[in-house]
Amino acid sequence: MAYVATRGGEKAIEQAERLFRQDLGTIDAARVETIRATMPYLIDRVMGEASLYDEELAALALAQTGGELSEAVLVLRAWRTTQPRLAIARPVQQHELLTQRRISAAFKDIPGGQILGPTLDYSHRVLATDVLEGKPFTAPAVDLADQPAPARQPSLADWQRQQGLVAPSEASNVAPQDIPDLTREPLLFPASRAHRLQSLARAETGGVLALGYAAQRGYGNAHPTVNELRLAEAEVVVRHPRGTEFSAGRVRVSQAEVTSKEKGGYLELGFAATFGWNEVKVIAAATLDLNSAEAPVGSAVHEEFYLYHTESVEASGFCIHFKLPHYVTFQSILDAMRDAKAKKAAAEAAGDVYVAEPEEEPVI
Amino acid sequence: MSLATLTKDWAATSYGFLDASAKRELRRKMLKAIAVPGCQMPYASREVPMARGWGTGGLQVTLTLVNPNSVVKVIDQGADDGVNAASIRRFISRVSGASETWDTLEATIVQSRHRVPEEIMRENQVLVLQVPNPEPLRGVEPNISIARQMHADADYGKLWLTLYEQIVRKGRIMQGAAYPSMVNGRHVMTPSPIPRWDVPKLNMSKHLTILSAGREKRLYAVPPYTRVEPLVFSDRPYLVEDHAALTCRRSGVSGFFMNELPQDGGGSVFEVSDSNLGIKAIDCADGAPDAIGDTWYRNGEFSA
Repeated sequence: MAYVATRGGEKAIEQAERLFRQDLGTIDAARVETIRATMPYLIDRVMGEASLYDEELAALALAQTGGELSEAVLVLRAWRTTQPRLAIARPVQQHELLTQRRISAAFKDIPGGQILGPTLDYSHRVLATDVLEGKPFTAPAVDLADQPAPARQPSLADWQRQQGLVAPSEASNVAPQDIPDLTREPLLFPASRAHRLQSLARAETGGVLALGYAAQRGYGNAHPTVNELRLAEAEVVVRHPRGTEFSAGRVRVSQAEVTSKEKGGYLELGFAATFGWNEVKVIAAATLDLNSAEAPVGSAVHEEFYLYHTESVEASGFCIHFKLPHYVTFQSILDAMRDAKAKKAAAEAAGDVYVAEPEEEPVI
Repeated sequence: MSLATLTKDWAATSYGFLDASAKRELRRKMLKAIAVPGCQMPYASREVPMARGWGTGGLQVTLTLVNPNSVVKVIDQGADDGVNAASIRRFISRVSGASETWDTLEATIVQSRHRVPEEIMRENQVLVLQVPNPEPLRGVEPNISIARQMHADADYGKLWLTLYEQIVRKGRIMQGAAYPSMVNGRHVMTPSPIPRWDVPKLNMSKHLTILSAGREKRLYAVPPYTRVEPLVFSDRPYLVEDHAALTCRRSGVSGFFMNELPQDGGGSVFEVSDSNLGIKAIDCADGAPDAIGDTWYRNGEFSA
């Protein structure tokens, strides 16, 4: 039974996993809660990429993977996909969002006003090293405005439509159960807009940033102007079987609308939205959406290219799969290479110019 | 009658991990794939508790086919004890209650990465091949929409051209594993990165082969008794790896696909790639009854 000696593999993989988990120590509810409470933007990023809005589960995923982001997203998605779809929420309208931050770079001021909300945009990015010297950092309290901004803000694009700057949009009358769902259907090309935006919503932040940035830098044909960027909370309105509509809770969402230039007498708009507050992702994603229409096939700003390559679970999985043994395929390549070399060497030794000779008649 | 009698007890996941809607989709797509041999069928490809690229496509097919009476064999590069094969096999048996085996003849489902076992598979067995890249045209046309159109038109000219160019440049076709093959005279498929040695085993085979790429969300099938013909020119025979004369240093079998093990000081030794075939040969030499079934290759020649 000499062959079975290599069976140590099963034991080795078990011990390797134990080693990883041992390094992380005991994971308890307190650790999960600390991660949830102190890392909201990280939680948001993970929830967005997993397309699963559950802060506690996202924190648990981060805790048990030690913050290995692609692993955290994978465990959340693998959990999510086993869960039933209980209801389909009513589509969210921009003017219904409970808006905490809303800015436009297209106008100095906009109907409803520019609301800065929480941001580090204008902060000096200085590391608070005092904390390590034993001086806890507590930010000064926020001074309340004389008049609180309204919780709901109109859509800037609606104003632009009234002014004839943006093409009129028609309300789509798709029955809720007929709304495409990328998590239950394959992505096909050309992608429906619903699939494109869903795919961007769950795309890997870094990947979207890289390709969106490439488009912004000049590999796309449209330089984005941020028409409207929002961080908000959305009510998840579902219908009770008896017909009553009610809010099952609120989710944090981000959305970006970017515009570029005139096309057919109107400003073009690119759009993106995702679970959680993740501004860089939605601006980059909206830029990709904006550039899609005229993107050359095969370019980095063409939807097939950027949607496939920003899929977090697929990209990271394929990348790490190269650690698996490939010796059979490698052997197959070696065989062809050695044979070609041998033929060439034999021909040259015989003083011939090497010309591939037909061999015997095919067997298949 | 109460709710309790109508419903099942709560469980964290469904039988076989995948929920009923995922399995229903997979069954439909598998039936379609069998109906149009070699044609790639897109499917949703749910996330499973394993990284993409690690056999998630094969796993979803196996989890859909499996039942408590199934006997499952999982191999990676021909070996049952590869770490990933062991991990997949353990997962399948844990979520389905199916039994595990290393023996090709005992298995009802063989999930494999990069190999077809050397022993001939039967009508009541299913071979599930894990596929990294389901698109044989990827090398000549990376855009999937255009490639789909080319399949629809049976437009394989670019593929033939690359094979021809290899002959012109190198004197032979240099394609290693994943040799593009025509299925049922209509669709060209990639047989997954199995060596050229294994492709003839799919031709007119008794068993059903399902090939599934989880990351790329495509599955396709070779139904039993279906033609699978590697793309070759009429004056250029199909060449399998030159392993017919090699002998396994451990089990002594020869005439099968081998793993090459480089040695200190140069040279190589060989071990049979189908690890359980090697185990059977060793057991037989130790006095156990010969458990090796009929093999596709005999004395290094394809003869099935």
